[in-house]
Amino acid sequence: MTHRALNQLSFEVKKGEFLAVMGPSGSGKTTLLNLISTIDSLTSGDILIDGINPHMLDKNELALFRRRKLGFVFQDFNLLQMLTVEENLVLPLTLDYVPTQEMANRVLDVAKRLDLTSILHKRPNEISGGEAQRTAIGRALIHKPALILADEPTGNLDSKASRDVLELLSNISYEEGATIIMVTHDPIAASYCDRVLFIKDGEFFNEIYRDDRRQTFYQKILNVLSLLGGNVNDLSATRLP
Amino acid sequence: MTFRQLAYRNVLRNRRSYAAFLMASVFSVMVFFVYSMFIFHPLFEAEGLQLLAVRGMFIAEIVLYVFTLFFLFYSMSAFLQARSKEFGVLMHLGMTKKQLSKLVFFETLILGAASTAAGIALGFAFSKFFFMVGREIMALDYLPLYMSWKPFLLTIAAFASLFIIISVISVGFIRTKRIVDLMQGYWKTEEVTQVSGLLSVLGIVLLAGAYTLAAMVTDQTVYQMVVIVPPLATLGTYLFFTHTIHFLLDIYKKKKSIYWNKARLVSLAEASVKLKDSAQMFFIVTIVSTVAFLAVGTLASFTSYTGDYRELNPLSMIYISFDSDEQEREHVEQLVAQLEQKRLAYDVAPLKVKRQTSEFSGNVVDILKASDFNRLALALGYEAVNPERGEGLFIPYSKESLSELSRSKVQTGFVESDVPISISSVYPHILFPSHTLNFNSIVVNDADFEAVTEPLTGFEKGESDFTYYAFHIPQWTETIGIGDNLALSMEEAVQAENFQHVNFFFENPGDDYHWFKSSFALLLFIGLMVAAVFLLAAGSFIYFKLYTGLERDRKQYLLLVRLGMTEKELGKIVNRQLIPQFFLPWVVALLHSAFAFISLQVVWDEFAELSILGEMALVLAGFTVAQILYFFLIRWRYIAHLQAP
Repeated sequence: MTHRALNQLSFEVKKGEFLAVMGPSGSGKTTLLNLISTIDSLTSGDILIDGINPHMLDKNELALFRRRKLGFVFQDFNLLQMLTVEENLVLPLTLDYVPTQEMANRVLDVAKRLDLTSILHKRPNEISGGEAQRTAIGRALIHKPALILADEPTGNLDSKASRDVLELLSNISYEEGATIIMVTHDPIAASYCDRVLFIKDGEFFNEIYRDDRRQTFYQKILNVLSLLGGNVNDLSATRLP
Repeated sequence: MTFRQLAYRNVLRNRRSYAAFLMASVFSVMVFFVYSMFIFHPLFEAEGLQLLAVRGMFIAEIVLYVFTLFFLFYSMSAFLQARSKEFGVLMHLGMTKKQLSKLVFFETLILGAASTAAGIALGFAFSKFFFMVGREIMALDYLPLYMSWKPFLLTIAAFASLFIIISVISVGFIRTKRIVDLMQGYWKTEEVTQVSGLLSVLGIVLLAGAYTLAAMVTDQTVYQMVVIVPPLATLGTYLFFTHTIHFLLDIYKKKKSIYWNKARLVSLAEASVKLKDSAQMFFIVTIVSTVAFLAVGTLASFTSYTGDYRELNPLSMIYISFDSDEQEREHVEQLVAQLEQKRLAYDVAPLKVKRQTSEFSGNVVDILKASDFNRLALALGYEAVNPERGEGLFIPYSKESLSELSRSKVQTGFVESDVPISISSVYPHILFPSHTLNFNSIVVNDADFEAVTEPLTGFEKGESDFTYYAFHIPQWTETIGIGDNLALSMEEAVQAENFQHVNFFFENPGDDYHWFKSSFALLLFIGLMVAAVFLLAAGSFIYFKLYTGLERDRKQYLLLVRLGMTEKELGKIVNRQLIPQFFLPWVVALLHSAFAFISLQVVWDEFAELSILGEMALVLAGFTVAQILYFFLIRWRYIAHLQAP
């Protein structure tokens, strides 16, 4: 690929921080996430996660790294249709050959936290979008990863379900000290974060921190976005719920 | 959930998409097992029909093995491709390649173990039935069910090796792909091949060439054509499905007046996408179906041989005694005694035959005496002949020769004995099988016959004459076993290539007929089962393609219904989509087979004059009916799925 998707981008995420990455379509958000996810490779530069540079690992170690250190939440959930909610939740543990008893304990924990107890034995096609995304978040959490990566987690959800999912992510970040990087182009979603990083054409554009109120943070995000230009149609309706 | 449970649940919950594939595999295992039960049967002897059965089934097992290997290879690669998104997610979540291989390996083994177990169980359950059929065909007194580990071991070993090979290969399909690509899923990564005008034309040219060659085959060129035509047709078929069809559709689409017409727009656009997706599947289904048609058609054409057998062998038993056959009386008496012992009515006509050289052509002519000839003709219920002195009638040896000879008039004579003969007509019935008398055979007046006194040039007096004992037995199929000792000594002489003590020829058409009939029935029986496996496999490809596209289709139909498409129009669209999927490969396969049968007819003409048209039509019609039923079954399920809320 000759196209340079990301250029001269450098930033740090603190442990327990909830970071949003924003930018217009084609600005390199997803490439950034894929790089941190280790499923795409970079031509130059380093990524350090928990002091490890995953791009120095071989394929096998990389898989182990993803399995233990990272958790993923996708826009279209990516739950396995053949497995029940419970089985989807324990999947990262199954891959790591965790003893069955421990899996059962952790599933109960996570299900209680995410309010999934009543649907544990349903299959993904029998549950709502919000439930599916909560399941995906549970799957991303269950192995206590160092970093959770979320790619437009609310992109396929209605506003009520979006709010639930975002509150959940934000709680996880505060209460459990989970580090989360979320790619989004929804300013409402971004307003739940501690910090928003803006990129444009693959380069750093701006970053803003949340001080106290979500409402003011949201306004600030909108301001930066209007500076950022890009296509207004990329942004979803800008009314704060 | 442990890792093994993951594999197990994947298979179990995917069972619907595996259904047709499993059915074909199970059936293949079942047929293989049933053949093994026959092959290892302790009562089977290494001779005659039983030997034929063992050999035929052994070959069928090899065919099944190789075919199933390809079938599984293709199916598994299609399954894995369809699941690429799932594998992408798993790898994203941190599944190592080794674990992925292990997962696929486990899953394949579960499928393999399930189909092998189910196939053997079904095979064993039905083997009593198949033994009954086999017993009838081979006319055995009894063929009991037996228990032995051998057929089980062979089947398990064969299919275990097969599934292990497949699971190792199939792992390779996904190992090499990048996660990012896998995550894109199946439909998006499908590369669209560029349609080439040149290749499209080449496809048509190759097919037309293959058909022309097949239609113009003569008995001289048939062996070269067997080597040339199938590769031409195969390549042509491939190009036809991968290029020609799309090329034609593109031309059609350019005419917007036709293309932009209500349902036609949607269905045509859909159809051309589907045709592209399934080009390779169509190719494989066509080739597999053609092979199945040809196999069954060829075997069925044998049965038309038994149908015409009586016409070609009008005599019920033949004993020809040559010069210095000292056992002539003994043999004929023995045959008569055996006939009487079986309480079979018979009529035996001894015909004296003399051989002379024709003045006209220089060929050797077999000469029969009118009174001898008439005795036989009357026994068979035909009219007598009454040649004047100096007159003769041709004796036809086939239907073709009958019409040919009826047009010829010959003024000839016998070189050795100097008897003039004019021949102006032909006897209107075939009495003697062509291999028992000379092609140049005539019947003459008794006085002319007596006037032939000199032997054929190069022979001592009397040496060139022989006696033809023609038996007429109304219940001619009941003569099984009569004259077996004579047939045996002839066979031994043939094998030892020493004819010194065998100065006779013996033939028992009833016995031969029985043997032909049973062995053709046996081969047909073996072939039908293999063809059924082939067709089930071909059907499973179509089913699978439909199934993997179902979710996508469902969304599309929902959209169309919302856009205001009526249910009737929906039905139309479904038809226009399913009909090409089902019948396009079918029609091409039928065409292929039809042209192949034209060639086959030429081959048959050379061996025995019979028409296989009737049998062929029956076979092809039978398959078509089965396909139409399958179409309605699938259409019903498909619409039910589409309209499911």
